[in-house]
Amino acid sequence: MRSFAAVLALTSLVATACPDDGPDAGSGDTASAREGVDLTVSAASSLTEAFTEIGDAFESANPGVSVTFNFGPSDGLATQINEGAPVDVFASASPTWVDAVQDDGPGVTGRADFARNELAILVPSDNPAGIEGIDDLSEDDLRLVLAAEGVPAGDYAREILANAGIAGAALANVVSNEEDVKAVITKVLSGDADAGIGYVTDVTPGVGDQITLIPIPDDVNVIATYPIAVVSGSEEADLALRFVDYVLGGGQRTLAEYGFLPA
Amino acid sequence: MGLIVRTPWSRIGEIIASETALTALRLSLVVATAAAAISLVLGFPIAWALARAEFRGKTFVRTLVVLPLVMPPVVAGVGLLAAFGRRGVVGSWLYEAFGVQVTFTTGAAVLAATFVSLPLAVLVLEVGLRGLDDRLEDAASTLGASRAYTLRRVVLPLMGSQIAAALVLAWARALGEFGATITFAGNLQGRTQTLPLAVFERLQTDPEAAFAVSMLLIGLAFVVILGLRGRFLR
Repeated sequence: MRSFAAVLALTSLVATACPDDGPDAGSGDTASAREGVDLTVSAASSLTEAFTEIGDAFESANPGVSVTFNFGPSDGLATQINEGAPVDVFASASPTWVDAVQDDGPGVTGRADFARNELAILVPSDNPAGIEGIDDLSEDDLRLVLAAEGVPAGDYAREILANAGIAGAALANVVSNEEDVKAVITKVLSGDADAGIGYVTDVTPGVGDQITLIPIPDDVNVIATYPIAVVSGSEEADLALRFVDYVLGGGQRTLAEYGFLPA
Repeated sequence: MGLIVRTPWSRIGEIIASETALTALRLSLVVATAAAAISLVLGFPIAWALARAEFRGKTFVRTLVVLPLVMPPVVAGVGLLAAFGRRGVVGSWLYEAFGVQVTFTTGAAVLAATFVSLPLAVLVLEVGLRGLDDRLEDAASTLGASRAYTLRRVVLPLMGSQIAAALVLAWARALGEFGATITFAGNLQGRTQTLPLAVFERLQTDPEAAFAVSMLLIGLAFVVILGLRGRFLR
């Protein structure tokens, strides 16, 4: 029994230590498609639906290429990259976090703004708190959910509340600081939040009938700028740049379909 | 080991003494202790029923009790939302009848922590109850002791170390609870942001501070378990 356990342990150790199957990646191969190439893209959570579609299209146009997405809050993604995560492309919901990779991390190349996004108030479809406009966010006993500070959606939301002059009262209504904007949507969807501030693009086809979007007046609203860049030191730098070019080119239509504004 | 190497020892004093860390520490202590106590109080009768009673659906009850242990914590959180969220099965009644909403309260954090630590308490207590020599209880009743007296003066003292073990395990599990808490209770400093949530939030922008707060959490668990000096194992 003990020797069996030892063999099992040894086998699992060896199996996990062995590198993955597949041909060597190599570098600098631009022209034709290669077999089994993996591109790792870290993208802001608000890009989940649009980029998944863009990834599928890129894979179809480049047989043999597999795009792996890592969706999350832009601040967390930047920190991961700066801590050494092997990411090829970074698409952020705010220039701040690409700056962070540039200044405190491995650096970026091929940086370009690829989209913009508007923010809005999101309420459950039955609108339990009867929110009609931004000023209603300052009323008493409102359960407001925002993304945490540092998350672009969280910083933008706080900027908007300050622009509207209701920061004090509204921030006192915050009941939860979520780790990314999709988590804010979840709290609105479940009906537990009276209101949240997220992107207009977060009202995706799947949740359209459960969330109501209340626009924020242009004079207080913030338009988010989304930059994309290749992370320096990427082993697939050329392919990564092709992906960036695709997002700036063919991918623009997909982004528009999901409600993003052109850069 | 990795944490010890990467913790910013020069900054650790300032980080741990920060309002965020201290608030999270205080909240964690409150939530974990409350959850452990509730797990013990609720767990004892459940363990008793599982150890001693025979009833239809016993296997089903046992499975239900153990389920939170094998469930991924986030799934447990989703389940709690479905039950106690404002649109939930129980939550909607609470809201309509009493205007009470459970989510986003410290109570929700306690509920999430209790949900995941109760199974541990039940398991330990059940094993303990099964291990009792029932001749001692028989002897007590032949001597004229009521069932309540027997419970209080014979059973509970005999189970001292198992009860302590159940408490410690439940407390440790509750202290580390993250997935169910962030999904069901939310994340707000002073109300629901326990130490694990504080670590996670810090990790997004300042990993070194996260390492420092993690050391705080580990240190706390270490001190408590060391302080018990293995008494709960005797």
